[in-house]
Amino acid sequence: MVAGRFKSRTFRRVFTKTPGGSVKLHYGKRKPSKAKCGKCDTLLSGVPRERPFKMQNMPKSAKRPERPYGGVLCPKCMKKLIKDSVRA
Amino acid sequence: MIEVGRLCVKLAGRDAGKKCVVVDIIDKTFVLIDGSTRRRKCNVGHLEPLTQVLDIKKGCSHDDVVDAFKELGIELRETKKKEKMVRPIRMRGKDKVAVEEVKPKKDKKKAEKSEKPKKEKTVKKAETVESEE
Repeated sequence: MVAGRFKSRTFRRVFTKTPGGSVKLHYGKRKPSKAKCGKCDTLLSGVPRERPFKMQNMPKSAKRPERPYGGVLCPKCMKKLIKDSVRA
Repeated sequence: MIEVGRLCVKLAGRDAGKKCVVVDIIDKTFVLIDGSTRRRKCNVGHLEPLTQVLDIKKGCSHDDVVDAFKELGIELRETKKKEKMVRPIRMRGKDKVAVEEVKPKKDKKKAEKSEKPKKEKTVKKAETVESEE
C-alpha cells in the first residue's frame, strides 16, 4: 500500500519502467516555480528552477543574467529605474 | 542631442548604469562609446543622454577619454591586457606534442567538426548498404 505521506500533492507521481519490464509508481519531489520580476510579475529569463542542492552547486553566473538587478527585475523595469534615477 | 562628446548613461547590457562618452557617430542608430563601459558600438536607443558635453575629438583613443573623465572627477579603472594564450596541441596520428598559437576558437571548432562528420558519414553509408544487401 501507499505510504501515507505520499498521498499529498506535494509529491509528484512518476511512472518508471523497471529492468524487469514492468511499470511501477515512484514518487519524486517537485521543482520550485519560475522566478518573477519584483515589480511587474513577468517571468524572468536566465534563472533556472532547480531544488536547493543543485542551485548550491551551480556557479553564480549560471543562476542569473550578468546585468544589474539581474535575476531580480526584468530588463524593462531596470531601464525605467535607471532612467528615473538619472532624470531626477 | 547625440553628438561627439556627449556624456551618457548606458541603459542595457552588463554595463547598464555606467557613464560613457560618445566618441564617434556611425549611423542614425549606432554610435561608438567609451568610458567606464567597454569600448564598442551601441544602439542610440540604449543610451540616456545627460546635460554635460565633454571636449574630445572625434575618434579619440581610450587614453584621451580617461583624461577627459579625470577632469570630471571620475577615475576609470584600468583593465589588464590579456596575453594571447599559447596552448599545447597534440597532433593527430603522432605522439608528439606541438605548440601552436591559438587561432580564433570558432574557426577551429568549425574546421574540426567539418572534418569529422564527413568521414563518419561515408563509413556509415557503406555499412548500411552492406546490411541491406
